[in-house]
Amino acid sequence: MHDIIRQLNAMRAEAQLGGGEKRIAAQHAKGKLTARERLELLLDEGSFEEWDMFVEHRSHDFGMEKEKIPGDGVVTGYGMINGRLVFVFSQDFTVFGGSLSEAHAEKICKVMDQAMKVGAPVIGLNDSGGARIQDGVASLGGYAEVFQRNVLASGVVPQISLIMGPCAGGAVYSPAMTDFIFMVKDSSYMFVTGPEVVKTVTHEEVTAEELGGALTHTTRSGVADLAFDSDVEALLMLRRFFNYLPLNNRDAPPLRASDDPADRLEMSLDTLVPDNPNKPYDMKELISKTVDDGEFFELQPDYAKNIVIGFGRMEGAPVGIVANQPLVLAGCLDIRSAIKAARFVRFCDAFGIPVLTLVDVPGFMPGTAQEYGGIIKHGAKLLYAYAECTVPKVTVITRKAYGGAYDVMSSKHLRGDVNFAWPSAEIAVMGPKGAVEIIFRNEKNDPAKLAEREREYREKFANPFIAGRRGFIDDVIMPHETRKRICRSLAMLRGKDLKNPWRKHGNIPL
Amino acid sequence: MFKKILIANRGEIACRVIATARRMGIATVAVYSDADRDARHVELADEAVYLGPAPSRESYLRGDLIIDACRATGAQAVHPGYGFLSENEAFARDVEAAGIVFIGPKAPSIAAMGDKIASKKLAAKANVSTIPGYTDVIANATDAVRIAREVGYPVMIKASAGGGGKGLRVAANDKEAREGFEACRVEAKASFGDDRIFIEKYIEEPRHIEIQLLGDAHGNIVYLWERECSIQRRHQKVVEEAPSPFLDDATRHAMGTQAVALARAVNYQSAGTVEFVVGRDRSFYFLEMNTRLQVEHPVTEMITGLDLVEWMIRVAAGENLPFAQSDIRRDGWAIECRINAENPLRGFLPSIGRLVRYQPPADVPGQVRVDTGVYEGGEISMYYDSMIAKLITHAPTRGEAIIAMQQALNTFVIRGVASNLMFQSALLRHPRFAEGRLTTAFIPEEFPHGFRDEDVPSDDPALLVAVAAAVHRAYRDRAAKIEGQVAGHEIHVGEDYVVLGMGDPVTVHARTVQGGCDVRIGRDDFAIRHDLRFGQILMRGTCNGLPFAMQVERPGLKYRLTHMGTQRDLTVLPARAAVLLALMPHKMAPDRTRILLSPMPGLLTEVAVKVGQDVKIGERLVVIEAMKMQNVLVAERDGTVAELLAKCGESLAVDQPVLRFV
Repeated sequence: MHDIIRQLNAMRAEAQLGGGEKRIAAQHAKGKLTARERLELLLDEGSFEEWDMFVEHRSHDFGMEKEKIPGDGVVTGYGMINGRLVFVFSQDFTVFGGSLSEAHAEKICKVMDQAMKVGAPVIGLNDSGGARIQDGVASLGGYAEVFQRNVLASGVVPQISLIMGPCAGGAVYSPAMTDFIFMVKDSSYMFVTGPEVVKTVTHEEVTAEELGGALTHTTRSGVADLAFDSDVEALLMLRRFFNYLPLNNRDAPPLRASDDPADRLEMSLDTLVPDNPNKPYDMKELISKTVDDGEFFELQPDYAKNIVIGFGRMEGAPVGIVANQPLVLAGCLDIRSAIKAARFVRFCDAFGIPVLTLVDVPGFMPGTAQEYGGIIKHGAKLLYAYAECTVPKVTVITRKAYGGAYDVMSSKHLRGDVNFAWPSAEIAVMGPKGAVEIIFRNEKNDPAKLAEREREYREKFANPFIAGRRGFIDDVIMPHETRKRICRSLAMLRGKDLKNPWRKHGNIPL
Repeated sequence: MFKKILIANRGEIACRVIATARRMGIATVAVYSDADRDARHVELADEAVYLGPAPSRESYLRGDLIIDACRATGAQAVHPGYGFLSENEAFARDVEAAGIVFIGPKAPSIAAMGDKIASKKLAAKANVSTIPGYTDVIANATDAVRIAREVGYPVMIKASAGGGGKGLRVAANDKEAREGFEACRVEAKASFGDDRIFIEKYIEEPRHIEIQLLGDAHGNIVYLWERECSIQRRHQKVVEEAPSPFLDDATRHAMGTQAVALARAVNYQSAGTVEFVVGRDRSFYFLEMNTRLQVEHPVTEMITGLDLVEWMIRVAAGENLPFAQSDIRRDGWAIECRINAENPLRGFLPSIGRLVRYQPPADVPGQVRVDTGVYEGGEISMYYDSMIAKLITHAPTRGEAIIAMQQALNTFVIRGVASNLMFQSALLRHPRFAEGRLTTAFIPEEFPHGFRDEDVPSDDPALLVAVAAAVHRAYRDRAAKIEGQVAGHEIHVGEDYVVLGMGDPVTVHARTVQGGCDVRIGRDDFAIRHDLRFGQILMRGTCNGLPFAMQVERPGLKYRLTHMGTQRDLTVLPARAAVLLALMPHKMAPDRTRILLSPMPGLLTEVAVKVGQDVKIGERLVVIEAMKMQNVLVAERDGTVAELLAKCGESLAVDQPVLRFV
């Protein structure tokens, strides 16, 4: 018995060391923490419960049978973030470069299966050189087992990927199917094919960082949601992010009592929208002055900046916020912004998080780049997402809501529950200038008359009243009372129960 | 007394005049331009009249429109404030010709003091001391020595065409005068091709001290003591105080008497100011007379208890001044800081835009006064001067007034637009300021490289560390209130932390208690009690019983603390996280000199260069349109354009990268 315990302790000690002190030092020198250090920061102190510490690979080729390290390159288990349950796996780059063997994959699948059974989120910390080549097709099978579980878990429990090292080839598709991807600057990258292959095939010379670094994916491709300066920052901010998510799709989003008064007035919002309809303003000011404690956890802040997405709280309860940003491209909808917002709305809908939509949209972006790029289909994604969405939907139109974009942005017609407009709202088929040029085409050579028509149109249509008369908006509210009115609306909607007709699944225009 | 007056001005001074008029039961009329439709002064006045487009010459300088506005509204008098038409003789005359009272001196008084040379002659005639000197061309070194002796050493030998320190010598004796003259002449010839030289008295350690006057239409003139305005930046006053820490009663009396004599010589009937330069030896010399209400008049009001605007109005209405010189009080000390929308960290570049947050300290009668012309959510436009508020404190002693000002500056919240608040704090806590050793060169001498954050060390690093720890504890405690925790396995917030960002990492122990947090740093205990409201910038509290006010923001993982002229980003980590963070290699900040950043929010309207193009220093790179103004950004050094980071037509934020050099 004593022998067994001694042996156990020895094995634990070996597992704790992963690939050994030398490799740990190398990991640190690269600006990266080890798999276990990362879990220490991510989880509440002492809460980590590790599984499968003794799992080893089963490869017998290329001398692998002599190289076995308990744990096999991934640390798995569960723990708490602010007392709330979460399942985790953390790849250990010091063990076989974090490569994925059949056994390594089985460990990941085990925590995912358990997370599904108990209804708790899964967070993956990715730091892996890819497939364990010595494991052959068993490794590929392992990936696919993980992919399958990612898909089945999608919309059931939140899944978050934190890329903290290499993630290349087929390995990228597991994070790709999770709900959010965070990256660490300078030490992580993701791509389907690496710089060498790119060079051979397309003759492009590109570094790993340029091809798939954190900045690339948060500014150009939109693959990742946020980029952080270090492992420490990424893990601590992920803890903060976790506070907005429910544990699963049957669980309510986590309430956290707030001292911020629901009826707090912000007089300065009355001057947010400039008199000149062509002058931009920062929609994020409205967001931060509306949410609890001024805290807005923005996602994809540097990608498709013409739309803003992220989480905040109202009276302590999480809300997802989607807002047009007049500062960028006048807040137009385009391919990237439609995709960005659509995926976010679907996440909120899947997990019962109310959606607050702030509208100032002059329309869809015109041009061949957009049309050839398929704006019809991509724009439809946002429309589809809002139309399908059954969680509480509150909408505030601050200024422009023109044309099809008006319909898309959580309009009444797409089952918007409460739709408000500020007095500065202009809800119309198009802006005054464009409209009169079409309606009064025959007067186009008379600028004076046209200007008069424009004034007439502006008076008639550039206001919230026409929409109000039809009940397309529920009320015209003063900007300074926006928080109060949203809080009340969300409180009223707490019992909302709406179901879409049964079907296998809808066919969103992908 | 008037029933209704019009205020021909904008901003804080218009608001300030309206306040006094209202107290006196006089109705007020504001005027405004396109840029000021939603301005505070328009809001405060009983009526408002639109003048014209934003540029001053099309609105606030249009005397004719203002007189029309008086007629249209039935205003019986006009208060011009300062600037704009306040010292415009023609306007004063036109107003009176229209049968409207000008609340200020009579037109001839304005005219007499309007011309610098004429006013100096007039002053000399009234036996006001003027700077001795010889303004005609000096023939040779012998003449120079003779003249220097007449003027009295030390003297300044100056080239007529001089500038930028060239062609300028100070001489303390005959030998230096002779050598200085020769050297100066050679230098002037070489530099300016003009060797005319003149000599005047050199004022050592010059201070700017001015006398406030008040006269009525019945020949009564009193002086309301002095104000010292030596703290100036490029001839713009920054901090003013009353009384001066430098004057003795004899000098004060002598200056006051001379100022009254000058006012009497021009039959002065309103509030006015005689400016003097005062040397190290307390010799004083007339500079000029301002025939209007000065920006810095509140410090005089605080120590005398008189409302200068009220007395301008009463005198203009023909009332007698009911007090004699001996009735004028001089109570305590008052200091004024001008709060400007400008960025001290960027060479005091004016800042425009929306006041996202604007929370001035609260007025406390007799102690703290805020004269402001703006409000939260208002817009700072480029059309007018950058001063948005004046902060005045009053206390029994100078030291107490300084402390009160520091506290007030700590609580002044301005966001969205850059302000000089931090610079003002740095000035107020400068030891030389505390000693009262002021000269007009104070700012260039003490801040020779401009204002840099690193020039201002934190006065109390331990306090910042303790407050950061206390704030972090508050956030952690809030996080622990989240629902959905596993029963029996709830989070227990730790008490051991490491604070980073103040030199070496500081280990702290932070324990939440009623109303705050007890923080232990080493062997020192800091009992921090605070009123932190999450998301509110201003936080007040006490540290071991002593009150403090600090501004706290939370960008990402950091806490940004603004206090006493310093801004520090501190990070509070659990002890274990700090150990792990220390394993990370230090990341160098990106080389910003290779990236052109947008200095202001605006629209990128032109990109004048292409990728790969070589540019020379001074070459046009891009044009950013902000507030209808074209701002041309030029190359600050030679280089090659590597990448364009913004597109034409894109809206840029401050500090947004526009292009990158190789």
